[in-house]
Amino acid sequence: MATVQIKDEDKVGSEARFKYEPSAYLQKLYATGTPDLGWMNRHGEWGMRAKPGNLGLRLKDIEIGSYGIVPEHGSRHRSMAPRGAVVPDDVPSLDFTVNEKAECWADNAMELYEEAVARQWSSARDIPWDELRPLPDDLEHAMCQLCTFFTEVEFIAADAPTRWMSRINQDFLEVKLFLATQAMDEARHTDVFRKRALANGGGLGTATTLSELSLKRIFDSPSFSVQTARLHLLGEGFVLTMFRQGEYIAQNRVEQEIFRRCMQDESRHVGYGTVHLREQLKSRPELAGELHDQLDDAEMILLQTFSVPELVEPMAILMGGGVEHFDKGMELQGQLWRRIVNEYLQRCDSAGLNRRPRCLLPTDFAKIFGA
Amino acid sequence: MASFPDPAWFLALGRLMEAEGESFRRLGYAEVRFAIRVLDDDGEGVARTIGLEFEGYALVRAAALTDLTTFDPDFVICARRKVWTRMLDEIVRNGRPDLRGTLSSLALVGEELWLESGDQLREDKFYRVNQTLQEFFNLAAKLGD
Repeated sequence: MATVQIKDEDKVGSEARFKYEPSAYLQKLYATGTPDLGWMNRHGEWGMRAKPGNLGLRLKDIEIGSYGIVPEHGSRHRSMAPRGAVVPDDVPSLDFTVNEKAECWADNAMELYEEAVARQWSSARDIPWDELRPLPDDLEHAMCQLCTFFTEVEFIAADAPTRWMSRINQDFLEVKLFLATQAMDEARHTDVFRKRALANGGGLGTATTLSELSLKRIFDSPSFSVQTARLHLLGEGFVLTMFRQGEYIAQNRVEQEIFRRCMQDESRHVGYGTVHLREQLKSRPELAGELHDQLDDAEMILLQTFSVPELVEPMAILMGGGVEHFDKGMELQGQLWRRIVNEYLQRCDSAGLNRRPRCLLPTDFAKIFGA
Repeated sequence: MASFPDPAWFLALGRLMEAEGESFRRLGYAEVRFAIRVLDDDGEGVARTIGLEFEGYALVRAAALTDLTTFDPDFVICARRKVWTRMLDEIVRNGRPDLRGTLSSLALVGEELWLESGDQLREDKFYRVNQTLQEFFNLAAKLGD
């Protein structure tokens, strides 16, 4: 092997603050040339052979033997040592605070992680940007304001759960892997809506105080499960419907592709949140009260958020096909509102949370206006 | 030649899907079991119900159903025959449906085409793999090639 030339090699370490002493093991190895090999006897289960399925070797395929047992209580060493490995007694703790499986687990996390990895896309490569054409000013204004809203709100679904991700016991690795894909999804959503706003002569519109307030409440959630209710169940469920509307209101294939692909990503996040809450509520039914209280507040803020012109009018203009068809757009919005509320309540049902009696969101769109 | 909604018609799309290979791999795999319900144009009766199942990048099953419960689909996509026909005509003409004529857009409005499912979580799979579903139907443009 050729010798690598290192610049100023004679100066490397000349001002080092510590003196390095080789370990007793290294000294012995140097002296005898005989490897220790004791680590070969300190091993998890030996002889396991995970078999790939028809889609390759997925996480579910390696959930075998003791490696597949996810403990109800996370390891007490609180380190990053992998589940199933031999862990020394003196590993330093990272002080994880989410150490109970029920606090973060969802049985679909592995499936959603693999699906997310398989269905990643690139906003640069997969959106046919060259098909973008100038739009009438009212439609461009409306699309840019909508994109501003999404650019503003989407990354909370990365920032907020990853705050908790670093506190989740490493034994619940599969959940952390899924949350990492969610962060990547939200990065792409933030970038693609910013790109769309800047790609057709419009640009960014107005941020709103109420949107920021709703994001702050998600960010400041007192527990991971509470955050999941506010973020995954209500927030992302609502945004999922907006993405579906986005495909419907698309003025061209650029917007159609953006919204459809974002919709796919968002529905994975909603799927994780719904199943996590289901499992958490099975384990701790008493949590329902706290979740209801949080959703009371979250629903109120949602109603307030969508009571300012920056958020009401762009969607109506896009739904109607222009400012001159604003009334038609509002009428369509009204028809969709029932669908939004219905799907939210059905997801609550699926999570095992009977939200119907407490729900602040009116099923009748007209009641938002006090009619 | 088989015609929509014969199972053989879907299986022909499935063969095209495998032939396309890389473009569906790029979309990512899909594991979903669902049904297509074609209603009579007067809306009074069900003409046909076809069960479809995707595994990975392939259609692995297409069968006429008499018992939906046994098939246990994640969701059922329902529309009158004329709506399906219109969508497929648009696909044959342009390679894809008109902007507001996609599966997702029609399901959003819910008047001409709608989803049925007993569990919102399973219904949400329609959205999770929507690009694959739409591209699968878009292959109808290549059936005559």
